[in-house]
Amino acid sequence: MAGFFREVSRRVFSQELKDSNLTSRDESDQYAPQYLLTPTGAKVNRIFIVGTLIEKEDIGTDSEYWRGRVSDPTGSFLVYAGQYQPEAAQFLAECELPAFVAVIGKTSTYTTDDGNVLTSIRPESIQQVDELTRNLWVLDTAKQTLERIRAVEAQEDPNSKLAKEHYSTDTEIYREMVKKALESLKDNA
Amino acid sequence: MKQTAESIRDRFMKLGIDVPVEDIESRLDELITKFKVPSNEAQRSVTNYFLKKYSIPKNEFYVRQAEPQLTKIADVTENGQWANLKAKVVQLWENTHESISQVGLLGDETGIIKFTTWKNAELPPLEQGESYLLRSVVVGEYNERFQVQVNKNSSIEKLSEPVEVGGGDFIPSAREAELQNIVDLVGNQWATVRGKVVQLWENSHESIEQAGLIGDETGVIKFTNWASSELPDMEEGKSYMLKNVVINEWNGKVQIQLNRSSSIETLDEDIEVGTSAFTYFGAMIDIQTGSGLIKRCPECKRALVKGACAEHGKVKGEYDLRIKAVLDSGTSTQDALINRELTEEIAGISLDSAIAMAADALDPGVVLDKLKHELVGRYYTISGHKLDRYILVDSFTPTSSLDRELLDKLLSELEVA
Repeated sequence: MAGFFREVSRRVFSQELKDSNLTSRDESDQYAPQYLLTPTGAKVNRIFIVGTLIEKEDIGTDSEYWRGRVSDPTGSFLVYAGQYQPEAAQFLAECELPAFVAVIGKTSTYTTDDGNVLTSIRPESIQQVDELTRNLWVLDTAKQTLERIRAVEAQEDPNSKLAKEHYSTDTEIYREMVKKALESLKDNA
Repeated sequence: MKQTAESIRDRFMKLGIDVPVEDIESRLDELITKFKVPSNEAQRSVTNYFLKKYSIPKNEFYVRQAEPQLTKIADVTENGQWANLKAKVVQLWENTHESISQVGLLGDETGIIKFTTWKNAELPPLEQGESYLLRSVVVGEYNERFQVQVNKNSSIEKLSEPVEVGGGDFIPSAREAELQNIVDLVGNQWATVRGKVVQLWENSHESIEQAGLIGDETGVIKFTNWASSELPDMEEGKSYMLKNVVINEWNGKVQIQLNRSSSIETLDEDIEVGTSAFTYFGAMIDIQTGSGLIKRCPECKRALVKGACAEHGKVKGEYDLRIKAVLDSGTSTQDALINRELTEEIAGISLDSAIAMAADALDPGVVLDKLKHELVGRYYTISGHKLDRYILVDSFTPTSSLDRELLDKLLSELEVA
């Protein structure tokens, strides 16, 4: 369909998202979506994560502005929700820790004074889920990450080429990451 | 300048007024030489001056100037050209725009052309099959085809003598379109289709009488019955023969349109609709507005917006439950429609309890919140008929266990590497 299409929500582990710093957007269109290219070549605008909400804090000064930390087997994601994400902010305000949560949101980046790029998630939705859903997500994300790793190794599409060029991606590191994530599923089998 | 003056004089002579050519010339000279007015502007200004002097109404003068120089349809070749046509109204079409009063085809012995009459032309409607003299219509070009536009400067005059139309009979109802299987339909043609109405949709547009899905043994397709077709309504679950419908493509999807030339016949048989079931696996990442507890119009089943039906106005709505969900696999997204029975089952909430919940909270939004709370963020396998961008879900299965085989396979792959 020309014009509008829904951004697919990508599956990326927190470690990989943390390593990401290449953003792109069509400059000629102020409404063009912003994408974050990860080291394995995922072009992320929307993201779907399931993990454990382990911290939450209202860091707002005037109005409520919630920061949540959601961990997965490889690290943690930061989720920020304020007045423009009322349902997510309300969820963070009311929920009890720790909890398994599914977060759907948009990635955003912030460049610090010394040039580091910090990644976070602006949630469109946060829901409490069960452990099974969390495990399903880990398996799903492992599978999709592994597919991207293979694509980077084969250099078969523009995103993998660009990722390799920009990050000089060492796919071994990410294979190790995926392995670690999958082994965590084995442990609690 | 002398020539210009002569031509102005000649035009006034035709009206029986002898304007001294010296007068005209001196006025022209003043404007052109002294006041640097372009000559065509000067000509117009001088003409208007004498019209006023002799009290001749402007429009009378100019109409006479434009006395018909008839153009044949085959000679319509220039965008922006003004023309006078003697033509027969071959066909009147559905008119989709409020600023248009009529649209259709005009024909004469040399050819056929599309015409559009603008509403602000304030002209009486043309009748199909009648012949007219159309004065001062404008030629326009659209999609590399010429058409004529009837505007407020145009006039129409009905002719008692019919205009011969070349190129045979163009009225489609004169012949019946071929019966086709739904799966074989492609855009831009007329067809006859038999099928069962699988589903009727609520629709939001007053110019649409009914819209929904019709299916035969080979597939399912969207249909739209325009209000202007003046055809009877169809019922869900009944089978019909739809004659002379237009097949077109929109956004890459083929669909059926019923118009004034179409007809609907009810069939006694019950057509079995072929299944083209489609299965999708992914996480439910959104439940869209218009889901949860909604109200439908008792007459046409359209969902009400602020208590009003697009077709029947303010009505006492009937409650219904449904879910418009978005599933996402990580590489694609899929819209899904879940009906009341299935919604009740998967969300563990009955229509009555949903109504009670909403009444208790004074807000039907609590039902939507509950559905999101129960379903969003989890993995499901859905299947059902695919239609447009939706799957009409008839089976909805939560993923209930981890795929150990896949886990082991992925791990062993990583060990090898």
